[in-house]
Amino acid sequence: MTKPKGIGRREFMKGGTGIVAGGLALANAARSESAGQYGVKWYPFTEHPDSDTCWSLSVGPDGRIYAAACAEGVPGGVVKPVRYNEQKDGLDYLFDLGEKVNDPGDSGRATQCKIHYSFAPSMSDGVLYMATHLSGPPIDLPVYNPWYSWHDEKRLFRGAALLAWDTRKDQVLWWDTLIPKEGCRCLLHDEERHLLYALSYPRDHFIIYDLKTRKRRDVGRIGSINGQTLFLDKQHRVWTTNDYGHLVRYTPEKDRLEVSPETLPHAAYQTGWHSVFYDVAPSPDRECVYASTWCPNPHLMRIWPNDGEWPRVENLGPATQGRDATFPVDMFRDHCGGLAFAGDGKLYYVASRWRDAVYNPLPPPHKEHEGVVWRLDPRTLEREEVTRLEHPYGFAHYVSRGAVDHNGDLFFGHVGSRPCGIFKVSMPASRKRENAHLPIRMWG
Amino acid sequence: MQSQTKPRFDPHSPQIQAYLKDVDYGTFTREGMMVAFPTCLPGMTVPIVPDESHITALDVTEDGMVYGGTSGRQTHLFVASFHGKNGIVLDLGMPAGATKCAAVCCGPSRFVAFVNGARGGRAVSGPLMELAGEDFIQEWGFDQPVLTDHGECVPGEPVVDAVVDASRKTIVAITPHQLFTTNPDSPRIRVVGEVPGAGRIAVASRGGIFGRDDGGSLWHYDPAAQTIHRRAVRLPDSFGDQPPVWAAERRSGRLYTADAEGRLFSFDEGQGFSGPLGRAPLAPVGPMAVTLDGRVFGFCGDEIAKMFCYDPRTREVSNLGVAVSVIERRRYGYVFGDAVTGRDGEIVFGEDDDGGHLWLYFPRIRAV
Repeated sequence: MTKPKGIGRREFMKGGTGIVAGGLALANAARSESAGQYGVKWYPFTEHPDSDTCWSLSVGPDGRIYAAACAEGVPGGVVKPVRYNEQKDGLDYLFDLGEKVNDPGDSGRATQCKIHYSFAPSMSDGVLYMATHLSGPPIDLPVYNPWYSWHDEKRLFRGAALLAWDTRKDQVLWWDTLIPKEGCRCLLHDEERHLLYALSYPRDHFIIYDLKTRKRRDVGRIGSINGQTLFLDKQHRVWTTNDYGHLVRYTPEKDRLEVSPETLPHAAYQTGWHSVFYDVAPSPDRECVYASTWCPNPHLMRIWPNDGEWPRVENLGPATQGRDATFPVDMFRDHCGGLAFAGDGKLYYVASRWRDAVYNPLPPPHKEHEGVVWRLDPRTLEREEVTRLEHPYGFAHYVSRGAVDHNGDLFFGHVGSRPCGIFKVSMPASRKRENAHLPIRMWG
Repeated sequence: MQSQTKPRFDPHSPQIQAYLKDVDYGTFTREGMMVAFPTCLPGMTVPIVPDESHITALDVTEDGMVYGGTSGRQTHLFVASFHGKNGIVLDLGMPAGATKCAAVCCGPSRFVAFVNGARGGRAVSGPLMELAGEDFIQEWGFDQPVLTDHGECVPGEPVVDAVVDASRKTIVAITPHQLFTTNPDSPRIRVVGEVPGAGRIAVASRGGIFGRDDGGSLWHYDPAAQTIHRRAVRLPDSFGDQPPVWAAERRSGRLYTADAEGRLFSFDEGQGFSGPLGRAPLAPVGPMAVTLDGRVFGFCGDEIAKMFCYDPRTREVSNLGVAVSVIERRRYGYVFGDAVTGRDGEIVFGEDDDGGHLWLYFPRIRAV
């Protein structure tokens, strides 16, 4: 049987993206020569050798960068949250999450393998909430499929664990099971109302967790394809998307999920199906958000949630390159994420670029796949390429999340090449400022 | 530096290879074809809103039109037609104040839906739609029918289930405490007597209506004599207290049901229950229907149900996996509320979930 040529999820998680991963001993931080005025530095998760992905990277309430060293491809793998330590210019490994929630990697069940867009800060008390996601196989099986094992008590994922990490004392204050049997695909904190919001996987249910009572409520199913982000507006409404690229809105006063009449921007040859949110960044004034979609030919958009009955949505166009519309591009190749506003008031994001004989020949020294850091001016909507991410042994085109720390530097979590890790993009002095992470993003 | 976790299996062992194959090929709809059809005219109208679209009741006319009702914040009644140039689910309207549709019954010219809300269960009827001649590719033209609310059936009591008898002239329905009858063309309620109403009821091979009675038994209603026989048939001991589900084999009238552990039984009026025929992969067993060659298809298990097939020819039960559709709509199917057999033997499942669809299952054709 012939497998279609492409990256594919299992190969992607193994780092099989066309370049042989080097030994971990060689994987020290490496500065890119092509970074220009934006210095790019790579921080591999060397002290968590099981780690194969980084699905979460956020700024904490303390202004420091937190990332998830996930281990979803290794049987028995467990996620370890890490933090960028600016004094040593390296990473601190905070804890083994499986140990903290009494669900170790050798339990025989699907493991607490990753944190997937699920860091959410709490500014009043310095807590960083984090929730886990599934897919890491039991230690004695090569893969885990939640549909296959849903009724298998021995193998079934115990559930998304929710932890309250005190960034002031460096300790887990408490933990709970956020969603039994399911993973948490993304997390949001409405701090004024003491509520966490989450999307479950695989059933795609909208979950509300009351931090005062520590009780969860299942509002209902959205569809089959998780939105990868939830966002909050000024009216405490929570937004995501459904399978067909419509906005889905939860209004607390109505206690109901509603679906927008219009679809989000997508390519003209597509229907809107699968145009779910990938990443959403709030504008500094909180009047609008910028979003990218989790769909081949992802589009950028600006959404004004407070304009009208349903938001005004501006199509900012495709985030990646042209392609042959008759063939579905590999979703591990065609990608846009890491949206974050920096201290210069500009939106930064990372979009993939790849070699294509017709649409983008990309001669050497370009790599076959590249992660391009873009800077978008929200006033003019002009965008410029400011640097490229460089993985020392592989490609660096799939960025999960981005954030700016209290010094004003950019960080990006990366998925795909082994060893896995995060990038720091040092901002030019003229474009950075202290506390550029404020007001803080309240969702993962 | 810490060392990498060592997996505890041999990736080349037959067990692991079999597991990988089963995960890849056996998780979703292992045979036949599922098609999830939205509650609308696709591309032209919008589906019933997600939290009003839990499909909990279905019935089918002799020419294959499927009538149904939803549960949720508001009940909708609908008709679906998938044959000829149709391919449509028409929202027929929303009975005021109704949040659960317990049953839909099709008569010769009208359908009757039994819906529940804050008050007792109500009967709501409408005319059967003439859609066969409509062309939903070129142009179409018809009006939304007017629904007639016939009021509460038994004051203060919800309707639990209803079936239409073999002649399609009499509907037999239950509340938690009463059995009543009505006529689909001019619904007027006649309370016959007391039964402990729970779960589904069914029309058996000789026309009798059966439902769950206390004392581990079934009650029997004789439509001709209009009499109820309490504790008429003893249930197999393994049934427990769960509300029954039924599927009817159209030609013989044989019924299929399942006990609390998922063991399947058949029931013939006059002969009683068979011994256990086989066991569904999971319990509880949910909606089932029988295709034209006698195979029984149904769902079992909570939250993410798996489909199963009982083949009376081989007397085997097979696990057909979690429902998935990649035609018309790309969707996983997790929870189902009712099932009927369509005109050509396809099974129509009503999805009891937010954003519920009608799922058409086309069984695999058996090789000869």
